[in-house]
Amino acid sequence: MLEVRNISKSFSGIQVLDDVTLDVRRGEVHALVGENGAGKSTLMNIVSGVVPPDSGQMLWDNRPVRLEGPRHAQAMGISFVHQELALVPQLSVAENVFLGRHPATKGFVNFREMHGATQRVLNDLGREIDPRRPVSELSLAEKQLVEIARAVAFESRLIIMDEPTAPLAEHDATALFRSIRLLRARGVGLIYISHRLKEIFEIADRVSVLRDGKHVSTQPIAEVSHETLVRAMIGTDLKEQLASSAAGSTQFDEALRIQGSINLTLRRGEIVGLAGLAGAGRTHLLEWLFGAGGTRAADVFVHGRRARLRTPLDAVRNGFALVPDDRKTKGLILGASVLWNMALASGRSRFFIHRSLEKQAAQQWIGALRINVAGLNKPAVYLSGGAQQKVVLAKWLVAGARVFLLDEPTRGIDVRAKAEISDIIRTLAGDGAAVLLASSELEELMAVADRIIVMHRGRIAGELTRAEATEEQIMHLATGGAY
Amino acid sequence: MSQAAPSATAAKPRPVLSPAAVLRRFGPLLGLLLLCGVLGGASDRFLTADNLLNILRQSAVNLLVSLGQLVVIITAGIDLSVGSILGLCCVMVALLMHAGVPPLISVAVALAIGAALGAINGILLTKLHLPHPFIPTLGMMNVARGLALVISGGFPISELPSGFRFWGAGSIGWIPAPVILVLFFCAAFSIFLNRTTIGRDLYAIGGSPQAARLSGVPVDARLILVYALSGLTAAAGAIVLAGRMNSGFPLAGVGGELDSIAAVVIGGASFLGGVGLVSGTVVGALIMGVLRNGLNLLNVSAAWQTVVIGLVIVAAVWVDIVRQRASERGQE
Repeated sequence: MLEVRNISKSFSGIQVLDDVTLDVRRGEVHALVGENGAGKSTLMNIVSGVVPPDSGQMLWDNRPVRLEGPRHAQAMGISFVHQELALVPQLSVAENVFLGRHPATKGFVNFREMHGATQRVLNDLGREIDPRRPVSELSLAEKQLVEIARAVAFESRLIIMDEPTAPLAEHDATALFRSIRLLRARGVGLIYISHRLKEIFEIADRVSVLRDGKHVSTQPIAEVSHETLVRAMIGTDLKEQLASSAAGSTQFDEALRIQGSINLTLRRGEIVGLAGLAGAGRTHLLEWLFGAGGTRAADVFVHGRRARLRTPLDAVRNGFALVPDDRKTKGLILGASVLWNMALASGRSRFFIHRSLEKQAAQQWIGALRINVAGLNKPAVYLSGGAQQKVVLAKWLVAGARVFLLDEPTRGIDVRAKAEISDIIRTLAGDGAAVLLASSELEELMAVADRIIVMHRGRIAGELTRAEATEEQIMHLATGGAY
Repeated sequence: MSQAAPSATAAKPRPVLSPAAVLRRFGPLLGLLLLCGVLGGASDRFLTADNLLNILRQSAVNLLVSLGQLVVIITAGIDLSVGSILGLCCVMVALLMHAGVPPLISVAVALAIGAALGAINGILLTKLHLPHPFIPTLGMMNVARGLALVISGGFPISELPSGFRFWGAGSIGWIPAPVILVLFFCAAFSIFLNRTTIGRDLYAIGGSPQAARLSGVPVDARLILVYALSGLTAAAGAIVLAGRMNSGFPLAGVGGELDSIAAVVIGGASFLGGVGLVSGTVVGALIMGVLRNGLNLLNVSAAWQTVVIGLVIVAAVWVDIVRQRASERGQE
């Protein structure tokens, strides 16, 4: 159905795509994997008409085409469901699905027809949302569905999804996969970009690997394994980096205790995982602990002493660190330099900025965390997702934090950076810090955490040791099953 | 990366300061020099020492007010009340001295009133959670102007002690005293913004208030300080103006908030917050002062001057956006 042949593209002298060839068939889920910077986004931008290729050919139904822009691609039947959703929150589901081309009779919008058509599209996707509801009321998973519904309503025959499950909890992802399978059954072709290899094995028919702008391989999913895929992506063996550290000593001092409506103890050198579905209250719990909002009838003890944490500043003074769920708006000042971002949580006891000291600390952590930065004075916005997340971590290391609250620290970053951040977390705990790690990726939790606390509707539903934790058991607790 | 990439970048090393960066840094200054050149050519009375010192003296009030406005705009805020606070402080300082209070104490009280009114703006914004600084400062703009009219009865309070008038009308050698005062304030604000941790907090708040808060920046306290500083510089402007005019008059500083916003914006600060320098604001205020002075010398009517200044504001921001796009393209 779609074929791109020998596509090359370079930006200001840097070759981003080099002679890439790829084809997508009708009714196929074609996974596209590769590290950040491998060229996936550029390739998809070419396919969806956002940027033209420098050379190479694109065939649509075996006929060569030259895309003149995204609207042209859409008119031909190619839709791109972006990571950042592009919906108008004030409008209803149906209005968003038909945005810009409402069915109208004599200039008046025909709402009945629009609602009916939206309902049909959603039914085809196997999901139920009232077409009249405003989008602002929807959950993230539902909003994403509206985006997909928009593509379907356009009668798209090729839908590109860029990391659709990154913001979703597992059971929402399962529902998304159901919709994807229904689309596939109707002959729609899908290009599916994801960093989560596990779900690629679950949903994809074929998988293509890009590395450094080059096409490495395209194979049926049955013919590849997790290891061969990772090796194809990074070119070397990750075994060393993925090797799990031995569990530390069992003798821990208490670092943090919460007592009251919720009870939880965190010891020095311990990594405690927080599992739960989206909306189970993990982010709320971490932000409340950090003094960043919400109230709970519970007391917090830090190193055995009762602490009043009413503002983030109180928490910082008590040695807390928060790596928030959204690094771009809550973790970093994107326009500010790497150096500033790293210094932001510390040095507030001084009136004057101590530049040489800050520079030295920043350089030390850039080296220790192997952060890939072009320069200390470059704005953080130009860093890769992995490097950005490491800068957020470094900010707290510079500040000398001892209790780390991590909210989805590896969301939306590539495989190598994920492994490195997991490594950093283990090293932190090895050095005696206490870590509370919330993650939607059970694999990651089971690999890193000493214990896993499962949350359900704002409460602790149960606790599992690393030895006894299985995905089934976590999901059982997370969905409200008995302990 | 492919084999071609490293050699391609090595062949084209990035210059230390790209043309876009030079434009970004010195664009407003180049504009000011160009303007002086043009006006110097058009009128032989423009480029004289007397006239240039006169421009500095006339720009002093707007410059003082603009420094406070700059700090506010760096935090992505806006302060509409500075003109009115200036008016109220202008009346207050004159009334106090007429009542027999020594000039030094009168000045201190006026500065304190300015800072306090500014702090109220900040408190309304942060503690009452008013949606945008536009609202509390719009309220304060009306309240302060009204009070200035009430306590003065609507009349100017003239004939002030000569010791007080020094900071508006006096000179040290050939340098006008207000210029020395302005230089002191500029140095203090520049050090405050660039060298102190509080100053850095302000840029952080403008860049991303959420990230700043979650990094331990006491956002509310910082914002209250920011608006207090803005009130303080407005009061300082009032003292210079009252000294120069030998009068405390209730309509002092009408439109001053817009002049200060214009100076800050022409000077390259961003309304989105997180960007802005004292040096840029100085140049911005001087551009406005030079324009007014030059157009006066050329006998352009006040009405047409307003039209020209309006065009300059829009043009300055447009140029800023063009060069920002250019530098972003340079970063790709």
